[in-house]
Amino acid sequence: MKQILYERLIQYILENQDRFYRIAYSYTKHQEDSLDAVQSAVCKALEAHESIKNADAVKTWFYKILINECFLVLKKRSRTSLSIDTAQQEVMYYEKGYEAEDDIEKELDSLESDVQEIIKLRFFEELSLKEISDITGLNLNTVKTKLYRGLKQLKETIQEVDL
Amino acid sequence: MSRLEKMKENYNQIPIPKELNVRIQQEIQKSQRQWEEKRKAIQRQRFQKVIRRVEATAAAACILFTAALNISPVFAKEAAQLPVIGGLARVLTFRSYETEKNDIAVSVEIPTIEMIAADTKITADNINQEILALCSQYADDAVLRAEEYRTAFLGTGGTPEEWAQHNIKITVNYEIKQQNSDYLSVVIRGTESWTNAYSETNYYNLDVNTGELVTLKDILGSDYMELANAQIRKQITERQKAGELFFTAEEGGFTGISENTKFYINETNRPVIVFERYEIAPGSSGDIEFEIGGN
Repeated sequence: MKQILYERLIQYILENQDRFYRIAYSYTKHQEDSLDAVQSAVCKALEAHESIKNADAVKTWFYKILINECFLVLKKRSRTSLSIDTAQQEVMYYEKGYEAEDDIEKELDSLESDVQEIIKLRFFEELSLKEISDITGLNLNTVKTKLYRGLKQLKETIQEVDL
Repeated sequence: MSRLEKMKENYNQIPIPKELNVRIQQEIQKSQRQWEEKRKAIQRQRFQKVIRRVEATAAAACILFTAALNISPVFAKEAAQLPVIGGLARVLTFRSYETEKNDIAVSVEIPTIEMIAADTKITADNINQEILALCSQYADDAVLRAEEYRTAFLGTGGTPEEWAQHNIKITVNYEIKQQNSDYLSVVIRGTESWTNAYSETNYYNLDVNTGELVTLKDILGSDYMELANAQIRKQITERQKAGELFFTAEEGGFTGISENTKFYINETNRPVIVFERYEIAPGSSGDIEFEIGGN
């Protein structure tokens, strides 16, 4: 039984690696950091595969690990970049808003981090609200509220831009 | 919402670096190796338990064993067919059966070693009991694993027809590697068609003149480790040049043989050391063999 779950997990990882990378990239916006996050998520998932309770939960279980890894990478980076160079960050920031197309992404980034996460999982990864609730640990109603609030905020700012 | 769709499109166009797959494969291989080692350790423990159990009932089993051999129709048939090689010992199929239940096919051939020279008082009974216990245990465990798999498969929406298409087959069989007036070398393999993880291979190398199992030390002398290690390292270097993949020392590759390293004796009476999948090279390379030549 364990063996089967293990082999399914490997198969799942191999089939969905591109998705994992995109999620990581949406958090870190950086190739090397995304690779690191995905790699350590895969490593941790494989090490802990015995804690999967049923095969159907593999997806939400893995996303949870992956998102956690993304936050760890970001945390590590903010520590190092603070000590290295803050000027560089400002330049990056200035460039980001330059193209109009980037605006919505910038707007998304400006939302609260859990609202961002819910929007990404819902629209980019096409997960159900129930799955998002499992991943984030928030209850279903909270997920709904945050999702609608986030969409409203986005729409409002979009409209401002459009006007 | 079209802005959001646009954003999704951008998202889906995030380029995937080639390195991603390389890194993931690395992790998977690392994990498979650890998993394999862990499983091996458990198997060894279980095997030792079986052996202890066998020893505890050795006297009773011994009588039963001999009786079974004598009344087995397979014995009579096989004994008539197999030529006597080397004149001192031979390998016979002690028990052979095939079953199929729930589309799980089982095919088992259990070998037994018979010492022919009756007056030498050499018997291979202990080894035979070990072989019998090992083969039976493997076949039983494999059937249980396949049954578990079946339950899980059907329980998660698989149909019996789809299950039947898996063609699950469990095989225990043996191969005689060498049989002459010096040595008898048999490989016993247990395999399951649906997973490599539980494949098991055991080697029995017998000195037919004493009835004892021979070790690498018996064949190569007291400095057998240095001798074998040097030859294996040389062969690895040569084979790497020819494009074969081996793990580096950091990746858990070859670091030297131990007294438990598996081997068989080939047709030129030379020991051939065998490393199983994942032991010193990626799983795709399968078992890796090194013949250790004379000086």
